[in-house]
Amino acid sequence: MREPIRHLFIWPAVLIVLLVTLFPLVYSLTISFQTMRLVPPTPPRFVGLDNYTNLLSELRFWQVLGNTTLIVVVSVALQYVIGFALALALHANVPGERLFRVSFLFPMLMAPVAVALIWRMLLHSTLGPVNDMFTAIGFANLPFLTNSLMAKLSIILVEVWQWTPFVILLMLAGLQSLPTSIYEAARLDDATPWQQFWGITFPLLLPLSAAVVFIRLIEGFKIMDTVFVLTGGGPGITTETLTLYAYQEGLKKFNLGYTSALSFTFLIAVILFGTLYLAILKPHLEKRA
Amino acid sequence: MNRWLVFGLLCIWLLFTLFPIYWVFITMFKPAPAVFNGPTYFPFIDFSPSLTGLKEILGGGRGNMLQPLWNSALIATTATAIATLLGSMAAYALVRFEFRVRLFAGLLFAIIGIGGYWLLTYQGFETLPAMGAAFGLALIVSILANRMPLPGPVLGNNDVAFWFISQRMFPPIVSAFALYLLYVEIGKSGIQALDSFLGLTFCYVAFILPIVVWLMRDFFENLPVAVEEAALVDNVPRLRIFFEIVLPMARPGLIATFLICLGFVWNEFLFALILTSGEWQTLPIAISGQNSVRGTEWWGIAGAAAIAILPMMILTAILARMMRSGLMLGAVK
Repeated sequence: MREPIRHLFIWPAVLIVLLVTLFPLVYSLTISFQTMRLVPPTPPRFVGLDNYTNLLSELRFWQVLGNTTLIVVVSVALQYVIGFALALALHANVPGERLFRVSFLFPMLMAPVAVALIWRMLLHSTLGPVNDMFTAIGFANLPFLTNSLMAKLSIILVEVWQWTPFVILLMLAGLQSLPTSIYEAARLDDATPWQQFWGITFPLLLPLSAAVVFIRLIEGFKIMDTVFVLTGGGPGITTETLTLYAYQEGLKKFNLGYTSALSFTFLIAVILFGTLYLAILKPHLEKRA
Repeated sequence: MNRWLVFGLLCIWLLFTLFPIYWVFITMFKPAPAVFNGPTYFPFIDFSPSLTGLKEILGGGRGNMLQPLWNSALIATTATAIATLLGSMAAYALVRFEFRVRLFAGLLFAIIGIGGYWLLTYQGFETLPAMGAAFGLALIVSILANRMPLPGPVLGNNDVAFWFISQRMFPPIVSAFALYLLYVEIGKSGIQALDSFLGLTFCYVAFILPIVVWLMRDFFENLPVAVEEAALVDNVPRLRIFFEIVLPMARPGLIATFLICLGFVWNEFLFALILTSGEWQTLPIAISGQNSVRGTEWWGIAGAAAIAILPMMILTAILARMMRSGLMLGAVK
């Protein structure tokens, strides 16, 4: 149906999204080719690709990129495996299923800042309950947040705690939408639960799995608030993530051109990654469909 | 035997999930010794509860918590309400009307917009007027171009919907940082955009609009068309159909979408951190400051965290109830 009124329905939303995403994008693209300072205010000067070459030759950038990738990939892998397993468990008609389902969802909608604050207390190396637990098995006062490896593991732990519910929620919905007739047929053929999972459940849910992992990876790369509160990027810069790095450069050092170049590089990396991910998965998804 | 293994696993995860939450709600009632002498776990058994933490938080002993709480509530409900309304309208349009966007017109928009902006700033114009003029012109030209029979691929409704959701892929630091610079520019012209209600609310509306469009599209797709068609035959105007027939029918979906987006805004950290500084600081920012302000005064820290998570826990419980009735299944497919 082609009615003129359709423009009234769609344009407000389109304009607002355009204003808030496109304008800033073009503006920061422009600034990424300039040197510009706010304090003291100096007029912008065109420097071409200097900001980008500086960025790529900066050791800190690569280290931060490595930190972010490590934290995101490991935590998303854990979230997916644990979340899928728990969704399968919930789907198996256990007693108290209702209680489990609601409780499992709680972490997902909590402010990451508050979650990080809570885990900071839990992981305190002398006063926290986690230390209590480790002391009981003979490891007292472990530096959970001040040792570079353990700090990374702590962030991964918090990410898994907070975001596994998201995987549970979607995988469970996926499981519930599967037709029961296939399973009845499989049971008649004496297929073991293990065979049923790899032969039916996993392939049928592969498209959903791909989407869930994709969303978590994209969201995960934005990580900032958890790290900001939990470790502040420390010790040193061993847990600093891309967003946190950009924040430090932009709003602590007011290095505007450089920060714009950094955030643009980040954007290009995300787009490249997304395209690549979809390109690799596409043949697999189409084959099953 | 197998069943009990599964049940055991679920119980372990339940313990892992609930313990941190339990910990916040007992810690906010702890007196100082119950914190400083090593962890205590059971109120009335290994410590006697006190109200010090709550009093400090509500009394504003270390930084006012009530103002950020009020700011968060006001900004979150306003932004979510606007976004739910405008997003639902867009989602409805994408389901019921047909849109055709020529790729060529889109490219024209980008070229004229960016090129014009660069040209104008090169000529010495200020950022904001240059941007407004360039993109205004680009929009008009591309809308006109879209009506002409130009060659090249034509994008349909699904592509428009994908354009909306793809905005969520952008790392928010890109737009947050650039918005900060734009708001500084706007500030130079005498209108305060940084640290203002409108500035933050506006960017939150844009921030959650894609989610609203994406979720509501599913709900509208599952509504029966028959009622609307009957009304159309009776010459009821579209706007009335939308507000008086469609929206009431989609009420469960609207409520769920509203609640999910409310959660997004309530918890949002990065934009609030960059775009506010004092008066309009939101709750997450105030909470992140607790760390440095209070050190190990955990009763206060736990109290602050509890204020932020309690409303979201209630919201989760409501959403979980709605989901059990099969409401959200459509959004997954």
